[in-house]
Amino acid sequence: MVTQEMKNQIDLSAIIIYYEKYLYDDVKELHKAYKASLEASQLNYEFIYVVDGELPAVIDELNKLYKLGERIKVVKLGKWFGDATALQVGFEQSSGELILTLPSYKQVDENDILRLIQAVNNKDMIISWRWPRLDGMLNNFQSGVFNKLIKLIVGSDFHDLKCVVKIFRREVLDKIYMYGDQDRFLPLLADKYGFKVEELKVTQSKKDAVQKFYPFANYIARFLELISIFFLVKFTKKPIRFFGSTGLITFGMGFILAIILFVERIFLGVALADRPIVLVSILLMIFGIQAFAIGLVGELIIFTHAKDLKDYVIETIVDYENAPVNEEKHQEYPQHV
Amino acid sequence: MDLSVVIPVYNEEESVNFLYEAVTKALFYLNRPYEILLVDDGSKDDTYQNALTLASSDSRLKIVKLKRNYGQTTALHAGFQNAKGKVIVTMDGDLQNDPDDIPLMLNKMDEGYDIVLGWRHDRKDFFISRKLPSKIANWLIRKVTGIPVKDNGCAIRAYRAEVIKNFPMYSEMHRLMPVITALVGAKFAQIKVKHHPRKFGHSKYGLSRIYKVLLDLVALKTIFSFFYIPLFGFGFLALASGLISLVILTIGILFLFIYPGQSLVTLFGASALFASLSLFLYFLGIMCHLIYRTGNLKIENLYRIKFR
Repeated sequence: MVTQEMKNQIDLSAIIIYYEKYLYDDVKELHKAYKASLEASQLNYEFIYVVDGELPAVIDELNKLYKLGERIKVVKLGKWFGDATALQVGFEQSSGELILTLPSYKQVDENDILRLIQAVNNKDMIISWRWPRLDGMLNNFQSGVFNKLIKLIVGSDFHDLKCVVKIFRREVLDKIYMYGDQDRFLPLLADKYGFKVEELKVTQSKKDAVQKFYPFANYIARFLELISIFFLVKFTKKPIRFFGSTGLITFGMGFILAIILFVERIFLGVALADRPIVLVSILLMIFGIQAFAIGLVGELIIFTHAKDLKDYVIETIVDYENAPVNEEKHQEYPQHV
Repeated sequence: MDLSVVIPVYNEEESVNFLYEAVTKALFYLNRPYEILLVDDGSKDDTYQNALTLASSDSRLKIVKLKRNYGQTTALHAGFQNAKGKVIVTMDGDLQNDPDDIPLMLNKMDEGYDIVLGWRHDRKDFFISRKLPSKIANWLIRKVTGIPVKDNGCAIRAYRAEVIKNFPMYSEMHRLMPVITALVGAKFAQIKVKHHPRKFGHSKYGLSRIYKVLLDLVALKTIFSFFYIPLFGFGFLALASGLISLVILTIGILFLFIYPGQSLVTLFGASALFASLSLFLYFLGIMCHLIYRTGNLKIENLYRIKFR
């Protein structure tokens, strides 16, 4: 018998983030399209709309939807906090075992959303890979370079991190904390944590296939993100290995330089008073000390907070508490005293 | 529960059965309630299936299966967190350790030690690739910490559970654990253990990573030695570097009067650089203070003995 409570059990929460700088389609139309895909999946679903910043028009539309009796939750953030934070907020409001993130405009073909939901089956996360790309050379080139860089730096081989359409298990966001703009790196971090992440080729929608130029600051932000992700993935728990090595190398360079200058001064009588190279040598040594010291501080942070940093996932614990102890088996061993 | 034997295994499908047999055999005459925790560190072969078959007929065998391969430290941590014994014994899953040593270690422990370490005095490994790097590493660790642990790489160890349950396990901490627990005051003993050549598979740990382990060690030693000094010792470094700055500045000013007209760029520059270093270190010291205050793990709480 299906009780009311079971009926209300949510299997899948779809989170849609609205942000003023993004494209967005007609809210009603989009909701209808998404709803059709989720309906086809035969899962119990809910919609969570997160409005990141001031978008009165969208809020109005969502209100209308709500009054029409749609099962939606709307969360509005006071100011713009970034996609990752918006996703966290949406996640906190959600109750589904599966989380599906959807863009505020049609990015992929609707049928593919259904395919994505079906593909998650025994995996932890499925991300979509828009292929073949319909947009122009420029977009292709941009994201190509970005993905190549990520592959080079982190070693993960994902083709389309920018695509918003992703589905993952609740556990993934329970374990991984993100903020600001890091949401696009969720698959990388999840992969590193040990979750099973896979790509699914999807058809790009025509609406998505527009040439996009980004403001220059965007590229710089991307680049900085790359660096931070590099640290997140490689050195989170061993800062001294990075800072310490850097520090030792620079200190060593400065020290060797100092010795050379010293020898020159004592044996060759080269005056040092007006040679800037002396300052370079001292600067290198000082930088070395600073880097090493920062590494030590990093280690202190890790050490004192290590309990919060449990970054592994236990798949199963097998404990046959009630399984019989096979006593006979132990009688075979010869007595030795 | 008296005893938990935690064994991380990674791709040991052939060894698992032998391992189980050997351990149960060794513990049979001990007459203590015990459990064996196999931590499957994301094996890609049939290790888990084999272990599962064994576990279904023996409730004392438990399996903790990790989602992927995380390395030995993490595997051990997962094992410790799920172990229920008062004493926790760790060993390698590759049959190179001999479980028959476990009763000996427990006897030693009853003499009042917190940790009993195995020491492979007759090690069955290649000299150049395994034994030599390990000898150098052990020597270095002894020199840096002053703690006379003979064999930091030996996996067979017995710990009192309360000594390690609170222990932060990250990076490659498991190698340094004896040294670090000794640094906070745990009493340790070392006994000679048997060591067998590898039967199956190949060694999963590459050539020794002495350099990395040493860096980790320097960091930890610094943290442990300086945490009770104001500003974590950075205060003293800051003072020293401030002093250097002042000395150079004085020399510069003297030169100004003794040799007027000579260029003083380097002297004043150097003085300024050391002054900035001094400030930087002072600030870092304050940061350390903040971090330590807000952290949830205090070094002084790491080792607490409950008297029974």
